[in-house]
This record gives sequence, C-alpha cells and structure tokens, in this order.
Amino acid sequence: MASETRKVVVHLRATGDAPILKQAKFKIAGADKFVKVIEFLCRQLHRETLFVYVNSAFSPNPDELVIDLYNNFGFDGKLVVNYACSMAWG
Amino acid sequence: MVMDYKRGGTDAQQYVWGGAIPLQIHLHDSEVTTLPPPPPALILAPRLGYLPLLVPQIKPFFSSSLPPGVDTVWFEYRGLPLKWYIPTGALFDLLCAEPERPWNLTIHFRGYPGNMLPPCEGEDSVKWSFINALKEAAYIINGNCKNIMNMSQSDQAELWRSVLNGQLEAYLRVSSKLKLDIVGDDFAFKLNSTTSHSRQSTTDLDTTGTIRTGRIPVRLYIRTIDEDIDGLEDAPIVDSWEKISYINRPVEVHNEGKCFTLYDAIKTLLPELFKDEPSVDSNTCEAEVKGGQNSNEGSSKSTEERGEAQTERAGLPSDSAEIKLIRIQGIEPQLEIPFGWVVNNLMNPEYYLHICIYVKVLEPITI
Repeated sequence: MASETRKVVVHLRATGDAPILKQAKFKIAGADKFVKVIEFLCRQLHRETLFVYVNSAFSPNPDELVIDLYNNFGFDGKLVVNYACSMAWG
Repeated sequence: MVMDYKRGGTDAQQYVWGGAIPLQIHLHDSEVTTLPPPPPALILAPRLGYLPLLVPQIKPFFSSSLPPGVDTVWFEYRGLPLKWYIPTGALFDLLCAEPERPWNLTIHFRGYPGNMLPPCEGEDSVKWSFINALKEAAYIINGNCKNIMNMSQSDQAELWRSVLNGQLEAYLRVSSKLKLDIVGDDFAFKLNSTTSHSRQSTTDLDTTGTIRTGRIPVRLYIRTIDEDIDGLEDAPIVDSWEKISYINRPVEVHNEGKCFTLYDAIKTLLPELFKDEPSVDSNTCEAEVKGGQNSNEGSSKSTEERGEAQTERAGLPSDSAEIKLIRIQGIEPQLEIPFGWVVNNLMNPEYYLHICIYVKVLEPITI
C-alpha cells in the first residue's frame, strides 16, 4: 500500500553541546516508528543515550509512527527533530 | 450521568480516577532462588497509573527470593513485555479481550529486554514520559506547549503528585491553570441540544456558547483479530507489539451546531472501516447543518480528502474488516454518546483519550 512507500523529510537540528551532523535532512518511511530516528542519531553520534525532541518541545513515545508525528507537528513539508546530549527541555 | 462539580469532578471522572485493576503478580521462575517459591503478590493497580510505580509496593514480596544483581524491573503478560509508558488501564483493555480478574502478570527484576522497551529508571522515567505526553497533547490542543513549559516547579510537582496518588480534586486544581480546555462543557451541552441523541438535561445550556474548533489528542490502539472466532474470549493472545497498530491522530471537532458523537470520532479516525455503511447518522447530521448553513460543500470536500489520506496512511484493509469492540477506560460506550462528554470524562490526566479497538479481519494483513 501507499503508506509503505510514503516518505517524510526529517530535519535534524543539534541543540546545546550536541555535534552537528554533516547531513541535516534525510528521508524516512512514514510507516517507521520514531525509535528509528533515535537509533539513527545514536549511531551517527556514537552515543548510547540522546534526548530527542520534536519542534524543540517534547519527546514523543519511541513507537509513535513518523507519519503521525509529521501530520500532527510537521510544517513546511518536514518534521523538525532536535537532539541534545543532555536534557534540553525537561 | 449527573454532573456534580462540587466534590471535584463529575461522577464519571470520579469513577475513572477511582478505577483500579486487581493484579496477581508472579515472580518469573528464572528469578526464584528459594524453596518454596514466593506466593504471588496481590495488588490494586490504578487505571490511570503506570506499572513501574507499583514496584516499591511489590518488591518486598519478592526481595528475599531474588538472585544477586541489580534491579531492572519489567512486567510481562503471557510472553509479551509490557510497555511501561502506556497507562495500566489501557494495557488491560487492550490485552485482556475478556477482562481477567485478577490480572495475572509476571514480574522480572533481571534481564531487561532493552531491545524491546525503552529504559525505565522507575518513577523518574515515568514522570518524564508523563510530562512529555502532556506537552505533546498541549501542542495538539494549542499549537504550542508554553503553558506546560512555563509551569512552576511546585505546580509541576503537585500535578505529578496528584496523578501518582490518584487525587482528582488536586489534579483539577492544578491542571485548570494549564488552560487546556479542549471542549468546554458549554460545547458538550450545545452538542446535546442540537442532537436527536440527547441523553442529558439541557437546562444549563448556554446558548451563547462560542464557536470554536477543538483538536482532541487521541491515542488509538488497534488490535486486529485475523481468525474466525465466536467470542472475544477466544481471541488469540498478543505475543508481539507488532500485532497492535498504534495510531496517534487528533480528532478535529468543529462546533457547527451539528451532533458530533463518538461514532463520528471513530469514523474520522478510521474511515476505511466505515466504507460500506450507508452512514445514516452522518447524513442526518449533514442535513441539519445544511439547514443552518447555506453552504457545506467546502467542509465536506475537505473531509473527503482527509479520509483518503488516512486510508493511505493507516495501512489497514478496507474490505472485510469489522469493528468488534471499542473500549475506553474499561467501558464499552454506546457510539451515540456526544464525543465531548467522552473526552471530558474519560480522558487520562495527560489529556490523551486512550481508545482500544478490536478489529476482526478475515484476510491476512501486513501493517
């Protein structure tokens, strides 16, 4: 079905002392869970734990679908995901 | 249902906040180091609570039987590790097709399944998860979560304590400061006054109720049953979270003077399950709206478009799927109940309405 192939553009933004990624935007399947974004970031930054937020506001459940997050909180055609090495917004 | 705000909350809210599930907790065999093995622990788990919050009460039952090591506590039901950030009531409604009392759970103090569950450091993790869910809900309702971010430390602590201790009155006192009234009661009453399904007295109706659009945060858990079974008690056990569809999608309520029922809300969330129905209800509503408004074309078009997008999104089959059961806070509500009432009375303290839906699908599906 189309939902399998629908992609969402995720814009990764470093917060605080977190290192900046060379590639800030990438595409992910909408049917994937948010945990996939977290795992991707942890791999890229070689860290076991990270604090990952949407719109500098809140951390979603790891099993929320990326497409749900995009539909609920995305704008300008992308989902903004912030990451920090220490807790940034409570 | 009688509304009584004097005692703090409506009757229904008090029932929900007082609701608890009797648990019978067994220590997993692999962690039993004593003979005879420890007897199971019996404990009441608040519906609105979270399993890790019970650990301080449960631990004394088993502490003398445990092997040496560091505690990493998790719960399991028939082989399924339970997600600690889902409210206990929602877990029970979802996983026990036929309510099992007491609910037999297995507790583990060792061997945390870190590949399946996010780490949990006890109460702090649960509180963090709760506050984040609250912020997410606020974002859906208001478009930002400033009200939560700007909460004083003492208010935040009081809010959490009220949830932890199941104190509705204290909760209402603090949460009212958050200005997260999604559908005011005027809205609910207005809905009642214009619907033929009216079940409540409308004497307190405020006819000047402002027109507003509400976005209601909903967490939807869909359990699909792909076997031909006679009753829900025969539903196959859930041995993997992959068998549950977890959908987070707000319900948009437009206060246009037309009835918006639980039926309408479910239909908005899962339009693909209602395709073949003649949908008498919605036609009636539309006729009412047309009577009051000159043009309804714009709004009905956008609904259709959204419907298509959802079908594409949810990845559920459109044919041969049938809703067998809708459960909210352990209740199987009638679908003609105004959605405003459902939200105001049955939502969890983080402003999410948790809805469990059992769908029977005769064809094998992939989600």
